Amino acid sequence: MGIDIQHIIEMWPDILKAFNQTLYMIGVSLTVAVVIGLPLGVVLFITDRGLILENRFLKSTLGFIVNLIRSIPFIILLVALLPLTQLIVGSRIGPEAASVSLSVAAIPFFARIVETSLREIDKGVIEAAVAVGATPWMIIKDVLLPEAKSSIVQGITMTIISLVAYSAMAGVVGGGGIGDLAIRFGYYRYDDTIMIVTVVILIVLVQIVQQLGDWTAKAIDKR
Amino acid sequence: MIHIENLSKEYKTKRGTVIGVNQVNLSITEGEVFGIVGYSGAGKSSLLRCINLLEQPTSGSIMVNGRDLTKLKGENLRKARLKIGMIFQHFYLISQKTVGENIAFALKAANTPRREIKSRVLELLEMVGLTEKKDVYPAQLSGGQKQRVGIARALANNPTVLLCDEATSALDPNTTLSILRLLKKINRELNITIVLITHEMNVVKEICDRMVVMQDGRVVEEGSVYEIFSNPQAELTKEFISSVVSFEVPEAILNKVTGSIIKVLFKGNVAGEGIISDTVQQFDVRGNFLHGAIEYIQEVPLGLFLMELQGFPANINRSISYMEGRGALVEVIRNGH
Repeated sequence: MGIDIQHIIEMWPDILKAFNQTLYMIGVSLTVAVVIGLPLGVVLFITDRGLILENRFLKSTLGFIVNLIRSIPFIILLVALLPLTQLIVGSRIGPEAASVSLSVAAIPFFARIVETSLREIDKGVIEAAVAVGATPWMIIKDVLLPEAKSSIVQGITMTIISLVAYSAMAGVVGGGGIGDLAIRFGYYRYDDTIMIVTVVILIVLVQIVQQLGDWTAKAIDKR
Repeated sequence: MIHIENLSKEYKTKRGTVIGVNQVNLSITEGEVFGIVGYSGAGKSSLLRCINLLEQPTSGSIMVNGRDLTKLKGENLRKARLKIGMIFQHFYLISQKTVGENIAFALKAANTPRREIKSRVLELLEMVGLTEKKDVYPAQLSGGQKQRVGIARALANNPTVLLCDEATSALDPNTTLSILRLLKKINRELNITIVLITHEMNVVKEICDRMVVMQDGRVVEEGSVYEIFSNPQAELTKEFISSVVSFEVPEAILNKVTGSIIKVLFKGNVAGEGIISDTVQQFDVRGNFLHGAIEYIQEVPLGLFLMELQGFPANINRSISYMEGRGALVEVIRNGH
């Protein structure tokens, strides 16, 4: 094993391109996960027994779908969703195509994280809001989300890091990205230099995301 | 004001049905401070939480302001709750919102226009003495201050009733007293009916007009606080009162006492009139205090004394009759030997 600086310089445009693809896929799927997963997590929480909009049917139906998607290994989900991908982005290959499957996987993941974050809120605080005569919407907007926001930010951090790992499999559909580069060059071609460089990039990326996430979660918490 | 009829609350658990509240009937008059006393598990908290339907009663009715709350649902129930304030043992403020925002939250629930919210928040903060804490987060407040914010939030929409769920149980004695004074002030100045539950008799003694004692989901005693303190009937009530007015005299001391032991109770104005000194002077008996205290229940004195009387039995009997004639209640605990 050795690092060939010359080789890194040669490969630099590819590395940069892969890095951008990773950021693109994570950016798209994270956005979709937050936009859909956040309300879904809230619904999963408030429809639970004894909560403000208790609804057993909705709770168990949504819970079942979420568990279903979460139980499928990502690589299988990636392939199984190709028809849907074709329908949404008009193509079965590339980072755009990979983003569809990543989003579908990230939505239930993030929704469960949101649900768990909301569960950490003292029930008494919710009850006090009910006693004050607040509407369910007010309770969601002014009690649940503010009280859980720090924990939700930690959840976003976790989601991003999981997406970094999942996006490595995007190569299967030609999605590209750093992980794909590591597999194609480092693993299949025994290219140690690329293997080390890509792994270092991933390590640095995850560390930065985690640090930023921790810092933000702490900064916005008023407790 | 509040009429509770045949109220029962059952909880379904894995081990079967547990009865929280068992056929309770209560009438709470407008403007009074009403205390519900009992040990934990007696059902007092369930009963209180049924009043604003935080818990749905299994059966019975709850009339508040002339409406049966058990018949209300959704939006109507929410609107009814605007007029029933509630404060909690652990305050339950929104930790991520400032004191001002916490109070504004309650006002928003009543659709208060934005400009009115601002002035009303200041008004409420002034009432609870926290004007300078408007932009502070709850984490920076002491327990007593948090409860004051809780009170301001509960009063935001001018409720007719304030429910207090062990509101002072997490506070130290001095803070408890200041919160109780604030509650009393609110009761008097705003004519808000207060229903509080507590396991501390001192709280009841300090601010309640009437009270009930609960055990196993039932009301075991009901009456004015003064009457209950001066003449408790149920065993449990006596136990609670002994936590405030204790008559424990060490055995060794009692064994040395040779005269008759009597318990004397003075109510109201009688307490300060020197009956005992008059008695001792007139009937050739010697009095010896073993225990005693004058409690002030809502500023009305209640004197309770345990004393030994020495002298001829006839004189002792005459002394007792004399004291009774002057309005004291006398109970002979032990005759002299």
